[in-house]
Order: sequence, then structure tokens, then C-alpha cells
Amino acid sequence: MSLRYSLFLGCKIPYFTPQFETSTRRVMAELEVELVDLEFNCCGYPMRHLYFSSYLLAAARALATSEAQDLDMMTPCKCCFGNFKRAQFLLSDNPALMEEVNAELAKEGLNYAGRCNVQHMESVLYHDVGLERLEEKVVRPFSGLNLAVMYGCHALRPSKMTGFDHPYEPTIVDQLAEVTGAVSVPWVGKLQCCGGPLKGKNDELALAMIRARLRECRDDGAEVLVVDCPYSQIQSDWAYDLVEPKDSREFVQGSILYPQLLGLALGIPPEELELELNTPDCSYLLSFLVPQEPEEAEAAG
Amino acid sequence: MFFSLSLYIALAICGLGLVYKIWSWLSANIGEDSAEYSPGRRAAAAIKGILGAVFSPKIGTILKVLLLDGLLQRRSWQVSKLAGAAHLCIFIGFILLVWLHALGELLITDLFGDYEATLNPYLFLRNLAGVMVLVGVGLAIYRRLTVPGMRLTTRGVDGVAIALLAIILLSGFVLEGAKVISAQVFDDMVDEYGSPEDMAETNALRAFWASEYGVVFPGQDQWDPELVAQGRELNDDSCAECHVAPQWAFASYGLSRLMAVAAGPLSSEGFRDFLYYLHFLACWLGLAILPFTKFFHLLTSPLLLMINSVSDREKMNPANRAMVRALELDACTHCAVCSIHCSVAVAYKRVPNLNILPSEKLASLAAMARGKELSEGDLKIIREGCYICTSCYRCTRLCPVGINLQDLWFAQKEDLAAEGLIEPYAELGRAADNAATGSREVSLLKVSSQGLQNELRLSAQAHTFSECYRCQTCTNVCPVVFQYQWPKKELDLLPHQIMHSLGLGMREEAMGARMVWSCLTCYHCQEACPMGVQVTDVLFELRNLAAHGGVETG
Repeated sequence: MSLRYSLFLGCKIPYFTPQFETSTRRVMAELEVELVDLEFNCCGYPMRHLYFSSYLLAAARALATSEAQDLDMMTPCKCCFGNFKRAQFLLSDNPALMEEVNAELAKEGLNYAGRCNVQHMESVLYHDVGLERLEEKVVRPFSGLNLAVMYGCHALRPSKMTGFDHPYEPTIVDQLAEVTGAVSVPWVGKLQCCGGPLKGKNDELALAMIRARLRECRDDGAEVLVVDCPYSQIQSDWAYDLVEPKDSREFVQGSILYPQLLGLALGIPPEELELELNTPDCSYLLSFLVPQEPEEAEAAG
Repeated sequence: MFFSLSLYIALAICGLGLVYKIWSWLSANIGEDSAEYSPGRRAAAAIKGILGAVFSPKIGTILKVLLLDGLLQRRSWQVSKLAGAAHLCIFIGFILLVWLHALGELLITDLFGDYEATLNPYLFLRNLAGVMVLVGVGLAIYRRLTVPGMRLTTRGVDGVAIALLAIILLSGFVLEGAKVISAQVFDDMVDEYGSPEDMAETNALRAFWASEYGVVFPGQDQWDPELVAQGRELNDDSCAECHVAPQWAFASYGLSRLMAVAAGPLSSEGFRDFLYYLHFLACWLGLAILPFTKFFHLLTSPLLLMINSVSDREKMNPANRAMVRALELDACTHCAVCSIHCSVAVAYKRVPNLNILPSEKLASLAAMARGKELSEGDLKIIREGCYICTSCYRCTRLCPVGINLQDLWFAQKEDLAAEGLIEPYAELGRAADNAATGSREVSLLKVSSQGLQNELRLSAQAHTFSECYRCQTCTNVCPVVFQYQWPKKELDLLPHQIMHSLGLGMREEAMGARMVWSCLTCYHCQEACPMGVQVTDVLFELRNLAAHGGVETG
């Protein structure tokens, strides 16, 4: 059965991490997963701090947009994902709220019935595409690469609402990372916060979080941090931009988005994954890829 | 005399307006560093930039943009077929009218020899062009009324532009129709070019023009066919050199058939003069105020699109960036595409602040940049819109005139911050903290047994805070608490203390605790709580409570 989802990019990817969109589309095309573009509004997450009712309406409207096309939704953003899951939980828990939201949506001919299954890209890859299929498609694995994965707070918790993975002993992202031939190292910050939610609100605290993560994963032997959320990538770009050269040695060498990592292992040419848009440029990871056999390289080039 | 005089006055006003606009591009400040670039520096940088681009391979890109976006209106077609059609109709129609009609004698005579307004192709093309513009105006009105986001954002300026265009076109058509039916115009022409002594010939010509060309002679509607035939010959000999059948002016002629029922007043000299003055004065008015209407985008939009095609806003010379930002304010046509597609426009349904919508926020930015006095309350309303925006970039990608709205939004936040209006979340946190300071001293005296159960209703099971038995698990797993050596000193209350305070009804203390505003929303506490208290969600609720009536933000 062919896999087909609406693609919910969210608000951060198009401007701040365009390489996330490029690599996601490229990898999903390689895996024959069809992504449908709909004009979505914001998932509501950024409004949740101060405008609860806007947040809930925005989330329901986006879900209803996907339901109108009878599509389940895939998002590469963990905050969008967690936010949708929470909104779905709240709406199913509170019929009065559901009715109020649908009364507003009805003015535009939309309705949220609760049918839309929202998944993060990693859940799609793990549950729907499957590790076996990924293993088959990996033609250029990494060798000797130690990486550190970060699960992302809003995907993982509250586990009762998101259902992403085990809240204390998750394995999905590690398994997805190791499919590429790399080794996912155990490290202290795996389930911790990147600081993204406080960027612009309390920069000191927001930076302290991501700096701690970039140091911890280096201390635990990783050559790269793997994230799968635009907020985490924006955070690490920011931390690297601000860091003094002498302190940068305390940080892990770079941070990469999961579809970029997977894409390399799938044999997708690096320029199609826009590694150079990461801060710092992640092209150094190419040296960890198992060299192509001469005849293979010839056939490819 | 009056015609030329009023034209020169209009041209002078237009010229002065243009100078004023260019001066505003050189002097208006948007964004924190723009004030560093004086008009002189901006002008020098602009000239250098233009020369550098024109005498380089970039000229190819610039010309391509001019052709595709400027002349063929590519970006309007991207908005919708209706928008593209409306634009192309108005644009081509108006260019034709200016060329064939307004400047006909000037431009056509030089290129093609003799120009005669009452001969083809001019007579026909003028009507065709006029109808094109009217169709375009009709489509524009239809869109304004039917596209939801457009109706919401329609303002006076949009109406003025469309009304002026409609007046110019309609007065032109009605005037031409009045001339078609006018016996007086016919007689004046005969007096001027014919031999008025010969009554028989004049009569034959009248018969032909009345029955074939639609002139209405008072009290006479039956003509002898022989006389008509005779008139036809005379017409061919004497009139056809300068006149084709008025039916070629299909719109005006059609209109003249309707007007024929009241030919007396509708063809009178007074009415014709009125239309004539209305027509050209409306044109002059349009010309005079051109730099201040949305039609100015005829100039600013191609200019902006050409600049954008060969420059990167982040890397460009800051002097040029300062100028381009000011230019962008004039390029906005208030077409509402940005607002229709805005990612957070949905919030407007719950937070009725028009500044959420990009097109309206841009108007506020223009007011700020032009130095309009805005009260702190106005600025706070603008700020609310600025910070609900998620910087998703969609407005910039879609803007038909190529405004880099994203860049303007970042600059607008800088300008607001310069006025002391910081990110509202941070401000609310400070205000809540201040509000709590007073009651912290005396709080134990006014503990309410009621608690806050009834106020916290937004999250699932928010009331669960009453289950808290202060095991401190939430505090122990909190990365914010972990961040400080003396967390109590930095955060006022720790998570478990906040949960407990809520049970005691200590409203201000809980909302004002810096812990509430430093929460990373990582959900460790909520996941770990052995009693199922929705700790993180409760903190979310406290912030919402503070934002909406909980705490004064002044």
C-alpha cells in the first residue's frame, strides 16, 4: 500500500531551516512516500503561552484542513507534533470545547471530527515505512560515526498525550539513527530540552540549554548531534553563531537534521540535502560514509 | 487655457509628490541601524548600486523581471486567475488609453503620421481599451467583495483608487455617447468644414448621419431613404476622411442608444461640458495624487522586483537596505494577499486585533516610520500583532509586488523595542513579578480556602494541582531549577511550591513567580508527577491568566 500524508511544515522551517524541507521531501521521495501540500495555518503552538483559545482553534483548523482531504498528517516539527497531539487530547476530552471550535470552523466550511492521525516524520519512518525497508534502501552506510540523538521534549512528553515512544527509555530515534550504520551513543542530554521555547523570551536560559547539550554530547563521544525538529536546529545554529572560537572546541563538531543524515546513507547526493546551510556546515560527515566501490562510483557519476 | 493650466498644476503636484516620496525613501527610518544612514549616504549608495547592477551581467536578470513581472504581470497571475486578469485588463487598457488617447497627437503623429481620434483603429481601440479597464475595475470590485480576507481589510484608499478610475472611464464613455447623439455637434462640424449655404446638401447629410450614425435631431425621426442615399455620397466625399462609422466606438455607441431617449438634456452643451471637465479633471486629479495612491505601484513594484532580483536583503549595503525598506512601504497596494494566506490569520477570530494581519500591520509600520504620533496603547496593539506573527515567511514569498515583509517585521520589532516595547511574554513576566512583590510580604494573611480550581479550566485536569503532596519530584526533574545554584532566589517559587500555592489560592504569588515565566515547557515535571498533576499545563494556564486580565501590563 502506498503511503500518503499531508505535509505540515509549520512556521519555522520555510525561513529558518529550509534545508529541513528540502531534505525531508528528497528522502520521502526516495522512500516513495507521497507528501501532499495543503495551505495550512500555524499549528497554534506559539500562541499557546498567552492565547489559549487561538491556539486551540488554529490546531483544530489545521487538522480539519487535512481531514477535508481525507489525509493523515506528517510533520517534521516536534513542537507542531506535540501541539497537535495535545489539542486532539483536549478536544476529545471536552465536548463543549469541540463544539465551540467546530462552530467557528463551520463558518469556513470546515469541520474537525478527530479522524486525522498526526505523526511526526520519525514515527512515519519507524512505524509505517519500517526499519526493514530503510535497511534495504541504505546503500551508502556510515562507518565509525558516533552520533548523539535528541528526542525532543514535545514529541516525548506528556507521553500519555503524544504516544511517541517510552518517556524514559525511548529507542525509536536511536534505531532510526543506527539504520544508517552509525552508532548512537548513550549521553546525558538525550531526553533533555534544547531551550527553543524560551528563545526571545529568556535568551539567557534558552542558550544555556542548547550550550549544555552541545557540550554534553561531545563529552560523551559523539561526532555530531542529530536533531529532528526545527526549533532544536535553530537553537544549535544560534549557539554556534554566538560562540567564541576558543569555546567552540567544547561543542560537538556540528548538528544535523535526521533526514539529512538518512539521505546521505540512502545515497542521495549531499548537495540535494543542503548540508552547507547548517551552522556549522555538516559536510565533514561525508568522510564517515563507506567509500563507494569503484564500479559503483563510475555507474553513479 | 484652463485645460493646460490645470494640467500643468497637476503635473507640478505630481512632480512635487514624487520628490517628496523619494525624499522619504532617503530619510524614513525602519529598523534600529537605519538612522545611521543619512539621505546623502543612501543616495550615494543607491547610485553606486544601480550603476553597478546596470553595467554588469545582472542586467539580464533585471530585464527579465521587468518583462515577466512588470509587463506580463506574472506575480498577479500567481495570486489567482481573477487577480491576473483584472491586472492585465487595467494595465494594458490604461497604457493603450494613455498612448492612443491622452497622448495620441503627441505619440502617434511621430510614429505613424496623422492621428485622427475619430478614425480607426483609434476609435475602435480606444473603446476596446476603455472596456478592458472597466472590466478590470469590475473584477477588482468583485474580488474585494467576495474574497473574505480582502473584504476584511478593505479601506478608504482602496475605494478611492477604484472610484477615480471608474469616474474617468465612465465620464469618457458618456461624453463620447453624448457627442454621437448631439445635433449641435453635427451642426458645428458642418459649419466649420462644410458650406452652410447649401441647405439641401446639409439636409441630406443630416438624414444620413441621423439614420446611419445615430445623431438625434429634435423633432425629426423619419428620413426619406433617397435623401439618406444622397447624404451617404456626400458623407463619403466630405466626412469619411476624418470619420468612420461611430458604431466602431462600440461601447459609447451602445450607450448613445440608451441616451437617445433623453437626447435633449443628455446631448446639451452644458451636459457635455460637464462631462468633459469631469473627465479631464478626474484625470488630472489622478495624476496629481498618483504618488500617494496605490497606483504608484506602477512605478514602485517593478523597481522593487528588479532590486530584489539581484540583491540579497541580508547581505546588501545597509544604506541601500534602509532605502529599500522605505520604498517598500510605498510599494504596498494593500491587495491583502499576505493577509489571506497568513499562517496566524486564524488568531484574528479569537483576538480581534487587525495588526495580526500583515497588510494592516504594514500600514501601522508606515505610520510609525512616517513619524505619526502613536500613543503607548496604539503601539501595544501593534506589538501584539508583531509577536503573534511566527515569521513563517509566507507573506514574503507571496507578496505580488515583492516586498520583503519578513525583513520589515524584524525591523518593526527593533523599532518597538526602541520605544520600550519588548516581547510581551517577557514584559508580562516582569509585571507579574512586580505585582506579586507586594503580596509576598502579607500573603499568608489572605490565603483563600477556595483555591484556584474554578479559574484554571483550559487544560485537561488542571485542577489536579490539589492532589500535590509536595514530594518535590517536579522540582527535582526541572532543568530550569537545575540551572541555578540558588534556585529559590532566582525563581521565587519552585514548581512544587507553585502547585501548593494554587491550592492555597495564592493567585498573585503563583502567577508572579519567575519560575512560571522561565518554564521551558519540557514536560519533565508533568511526566514524572506520581499524583498525575498536570504541572506544565498548569503553568501554561497561569501565563494565560496573567495575559488576560490577571495582571496589569502597564
